[in-house]
Amino acid sequence: MAVLAKPVHWQRVLYVEDMTTTSEPLVRIDGFKMTFGRETIIDDLSFDIHAGETFGFLGSNGCGKTTTIRALLGIYRPTAGILHINGKPFRPEDGSSLGYLPEERGLYKKESVIEVMMYFGRLKGFSHQAARDWSMKFLERMSLADKAKVRIDKLSSGQQQKVQLGVTVMNSPELLILDEPTKGFDPVNRRLLMEIIEEQKNSGSTVLMVTHQMEEVERLCDRVIFLKGGRAEAYGSVDQVQDHFGGTTIRIKYSGTIPASTNYTITSQHNNYAELVLTDHADRSTILRELVASGLQVREFTTGKLSLDDIFIRIYGHRDDDDSVAVA
Amino acid sequence: MAKHNLRTVVGFEVHRTLTKRRFWILTLLVPIALGVVIALVYASHSSTRNSITSQKNSKFSFVYTDTSGVVSDPLVRTFGGTRGSDVERSIADVRSGKIDAYFEYPAHPTKETIKIFGVDKGVFENGKYGSVATLIIELSAQQKIGSAALAALGQGNVKTVTKTYKNGKESGGWNGVIPLLLYLLLFYVVIILLGNQMLSSTLEEKENRVTEMILTTVNATTLIIGKITSLFIVGFVQMFVFVIPVIFGYIFFRSSLNWPSLDLSSLQFDPARMTIGALLLLGGFTLFTGTLVAIGAMMPTAKEAGVFFGAMMALIFVPFYIITLIVSDPHALIVQIFTYFPFSAPITAMMRNAFGSLSLWEAAIVVIELFGFGIVVLRLAVRLFRYGSIEYTKKLSIRTVLFRQK
Repeated sequence: MAVLAKPVHWQRVLYVEDMTTTSEPLVRIDGFKMTFGRETIIDDLSFDIHAGETFGFLGSNGCGKTTTIRALLGIYRPTAGILHINGKPFRPEDGSSLGYLPEERGLYKKESVIEVMMYFGRLKGFSHQAARDWSMKFLERMSLADKAKVRIDKLSSGQQQKVQLGVTVMNSPELLILDEPTKGFDPVNRRLLMEIIEEQKNSGSTVLMVTHQMEEVERLCDRVIFLKGGRAEAYGSVDQVQDHFGGTTIRIKYSGTIPASTNYTITSQHNNYAELVLTDHADRSTILRELVASGLQVREFTTGKLSLDDIFIRIYGHRDDDDSVAVA
Repeated sequence: MAKHNLRTVVGFEVHRTLTKRRFWILTLLVPIALGVVIALVYASHSSTRNSITSQKNSKFSFVYTDTSGVVSDPLVRTFGGTRGSDVERSIADVRSGKIDAYFEYPAHPTKETIKIFGVDKGVFENGKYGSVATLIIELSAQQKIGSAALAALGQGNVKTVTKTYKNGKESGGWNGVIPLLLYLLLFYVVIILLGNQMLSSTLEEKENRVTEMILTTVNATTLIIGKITSLFIVGFVQMFVFVIPVIFGYIFFRSSLNWPSLDLSSLQFDPARMTIGALLLLGGFTLFTGTLVAIGAMMPTAKEAGVFFGAMMALIFVPFYIITLIVSDPHALIVQIFTYFPFSAPITAMMRNAFGSLSLWEAAIVVIELFGFGIVVLRLAVRLFRYGSIEYTKKLSIRTVLFRQK
């Protein structure tokens, strides 16, 4: 397993992915540290995002995800470390290649939908006409064409979210950063959003996504990083992280009492169903033999991988002092 | 790209302001109010003049007595009056309505009151008694002097013109002061008209939670400069709208409105002082703009920022409390303090420059100080905007901004 050029906190990073590519990553964060006063929010964080991949930036509330994104985008200046996009610190002048949907949503509420979209389009380098054409096309797709001249604050929050999404993706950005993209979306709009993200991904955009929706991560992301206490807790492809956090899980339907064992950990137990996570070096057949030998009546026995939801709970289930730091 | 973005920001800000119905309602209120006032003044002048003329021309029967010997009996007769001899009887005749009025001219009209008794013809028309009584003694006095011109001189109706010299050259006096005071006027108009908008210009991004999106698309400095530029354009439109009725009134109704005639050719423009005035204006504007934008970036809402706007306004009016000292004793300690304290410096220095008591080196210090502080505060404002405007609900501490990023 190859490692990053500058691995950090080996004792805490549970997994560092094998990165065989030699090309310059699109996003490079190396030794990033961020302190506000005496509080250290991010401590020596390093990870890369490569062109074309969808990357999940995961963590509990207040663990420093938004802070990292703001520092990456030059809104915050880092205390230490390198934060590069395309090999250099991001500047607003490079905004035409970026689509950013921040966690704090908002647009110019007193202006019309088309005016706001065109304004951002112009700032991203579109001509007046091109900005208008693109905006109208997007609004038609979102069934909002009749709202083009309506003031933003007259739209429902879901409609406002769609407009903001349009502003975010309107320049077919090379890098799309989505901070809690599905926040405030109903299931229908969430599906639409996912479609748009997939479209962007398919058209070659690199996506950095912050979310608490682990099923979205499993569906969309190639690689993930879990942040805890300002440090990387886990980092790699979804499969690799799942493998690391228990690899195979066994789900059984049973009667009797599941015996304690060094070969597995019982992660859930309810209504004669239980989920067991295998410890290192144990295999399914050994477990099954052990269970049967203990007198347990095993009625169903299926294997699978630990979900990211479970991994999330496993990582953040026990909040430590670091997590109590409240950061946007 | 920066120029393109600056143009885009200016275009967006100006367009959205000028297309707002509210903006035009508020802006047009001023010229409409001015127009109404001008119309009312015009109407009042016309009716007053007509009334006076009709009063003077209206014949009414009256009797007068004169112990001063000034009043000319033939003149009175042309007004339809007759000389009386018995005061009590004349008053009784008025009471009974036999005659319309009785004027009792005292022995010393300049010291004593001319008593007038008249039949009540209504509050407004009763004024004709006084007008005629005054006109009679005025014309009688002129007859006694034998010259209307001498009579006018006696009343002090003379014009003077003063020429003063400084360093062997003729100085402008008020004609040299007025152009320089225009800078002061311009400063007040700009700050009063645009100050509140400067304060709230960056608050909008904060209140609408749009800061992060905008800051990743356009440079904070470009955004703020664009906003300030657009404010200037909007302010210019407002001033233009305000001035139209005044120009219209001056051109077409100047005499009717009793407005003084402006002789622009007599104004004197000292190039050095005009340059200093312009620099003080620009420096002061930079400082106040930067400060207002910085305050806006620090405060979470327009309401909270508004408190500071009041304080800023007070600062630009404070020098007026010592205006007599500024004119008469420019070297007094308080005047010196006000000249160099950044927020009172623009007004004090512009006044001293207008009245000729600001030396060249003093002007240089104040100009450098204003531009220096102005640029520092503007840079701080940009920084506060960058970091402050994403603290959406919190008031930002300058200390935090200055030290967190080091």
